[in-house]
Formats: sequence, C-alpha cells, structure tokens
Amino acid sequence: MALDLTMPVLVVDDYKTMIRIIRNLLKQLGFDDVDEASDGTEALGKMKERRYGLVISDWNMEPMTGYELLKHVRADTGLSKTPFIMVTAESKTENVIAAKKAGVNNYIVKPFNAQTLKGKIEAVFSD
Amino acid sequence: MAPVQPEQLARIVDFLKTERHDLSLDDVMTLAERMAETLDDTVAHVDTLLHDEFRSIVGEIAALRREIGAFRPGHMRFERIPEAGRELDAVVDATETATNAIMEAAESIMAADATDPDAYKALVDEKMLVIFEACSFQDITGQRIRKVVRTLGWIEERLAKLADALKIADGDHAEEEESEEEKRMRELILHGPQHEGEGVSQDFVDDVFSANDQDDIDALFR
Repeated sequence: MALDLTMPVLVVDDYKTMIRIIRNLLKQLGFDDVDEASDGTEALGKMKERRYGLVISDWNMEPMTGYELLKHVRADTGLSKTPFIMVTAESKTENVIAAKKAGVNNYIVKPFNAQTLKGKIEAVFSD
Repeated sequence: MAPVQPEQLARIVDFLKTERHDLSLDDVMTLAERMAETLDDTVAHVDTLLHDEFRSIVGEIAALRREIGAFRPGHMRFERIPEAGRELDAVVDATETATNAIMEAAESIMAADATDPDAYKALVDEKMLVIFEACSFQDITGQRIRKVVRTLGWIEERLAKLADALKIADGDHAEEEESEEEKRMRELILHGPQHEGEGVSQDFVDDVFSANDQDDIDALFR
C-alpha cells in the first residue's frame, strides 16, 4: 500500500487540543484532508459515510474507546482493511499486546514527536 | 446484683425513641457509651475488676468520640474536598488556555508569509512574546496543585488517626463489589497515563510490532 498524501485521514481524540496538535503535525507532513471525531461512536459513523485512508485514534475515550473502535472496524467487512494507528498514553504491556491482537497497524505512546508520527505512518504504508 | 436505675433505663429508652431514625456513627457511639455506663453501675456492686473494665470501655468510647469529632467530616466533605476540586478545575482551564494561546501563536507563524523578512520577523517577535506570557501559567498551576497536595495530606493524616483509634487493619474490610466504572476500566484495559519509567517505551512497542509471530513477542518477555 503506497502512502498517498491526498488521502483523507480521520483523527479520533476527546481532547480538542490533541486533535489540533495531530492535525498540525499531519499538515507539516503534507496531509491536508483531515477529519476529526471525539470518540469511537462518532468515528464509526464518519467511517461509514466516507472511506478514510488512515485512522489515528486515542484509546481512552467515552462512550466508545479507541480499542472498541478498532475491534468494530476490524469486524466490519467494509472497513476492516483501513490502516489504524493508536496514539495513546495507555502504555502498559497488556494494552500494546491487546491492540496488536485486535489488529492495530501501529502504536504510538504519548507524548510523541512529529518524527515518531511520520515514522509510524510510513511504516504502516510500507508493509 | 443491684438493679438498673430507672433513670438510666429512661435515658436509653428516650434515646431510642428520639434518635433511632437515621442513626449515625455518633448516635451508635452515644448508645454504646450509655449502655456501658449503665452496665458499669450495675456490675460495680458485683465485681471491682469488672467495674474497672467498664470504666476503661467508657474511656475508650469517649476517646473515640473525640477522634471522630477531630475528623471534621463536614469540613472535609463540604469545604476541603470541593475546594481541591475547584483548584484542579482551574488547573485544567489554565493549561487549556495557555495551550491554545501557544498553538495559535505557532499556527500564525507557520501560516505567515516569509517573503517580507522585516514583517515576518516582527510577527515572529510578537508571537514569541505571546508564547512567553502563556507559559506563566506554570507558576499559578504549581501553587494550585500544591494546595491540593496539602489537602490530600490533611485527609491522609486524619484517616490514619481514625484508623488507629478504631484499630482498623487492612484485612478488616468486607469484600467490595466491583462497580460498573471499575468493570468498564478492567474490560477495556483503561489504566490511564503511567508515571515516568512505569509504562513501556516506544522502543518496546516498536519491538512488539516488528515481531513476526508469537515466539518473537514471547522472546521480549524473557
């Protein structure tokens, strides 16, 4: 799968500030088409209306967490192939293993920098 | 054995009649104190040793009442804890305001036209001042958080004294039922942020994701 800077990206986080940070970092990396959602439920609704090339999601949100969103996405035949990166402060081993088992493409531990985000996006699309 | 005096019985009956609804811990203590006093007077006629024991029990109950009074639950519940909550809300607001100011300044610089170096430098200087000013939030939020820490210390100290007075050990509590919130946190693996050095590093995560199979992942834990 090639990295396409014109693809729409969905950023899911319940903190507006974090969405703003990721949006600015993505802009610096060349992505201009960025949508946002404040939890898994809203994200799932948006994903059913529009095909996103990448989802970047926080884990700890209400009512639907990023982990639940990931499992819903992987269980939906129409969405299951969507690249999914988890960006989270949940940094226990069991979280990382659970996310990998649920089919996440990559996992970034907060706080992170632009280089890490860039590296993980490139890694997802080089697989 | 000397009979219980009518006025003592009357005190207990009166207490039960007038104060038995919504009995508080203090009510129970009062009842226990009065019952101990009643029995004390009764057994005083029988055995000096028992009499001394009851005097000691009455003394213990009175001391316990003083400890509970010092705990000042109303002050803690209606003043100290709400005030700590307001301090933390103010910290959240201040950090959010500062972050927004810093990000707006950074976004203005990123979006600025750099073809006119003088105008660009003037804009950068102006936005840098905004960033410096916004960073002053750290001083006030630090003071607010220190107040919350003091409140936590105040509560901890009084709880420890109360636990000592009641002779409560860690194993004394009944098994608590898992709340809905705790169940959600366990099932959805919600731990929240870890302290420095407690969570896994990005390097560890990268090793997990570069692992080809379960054997590679297992090897990370050996």
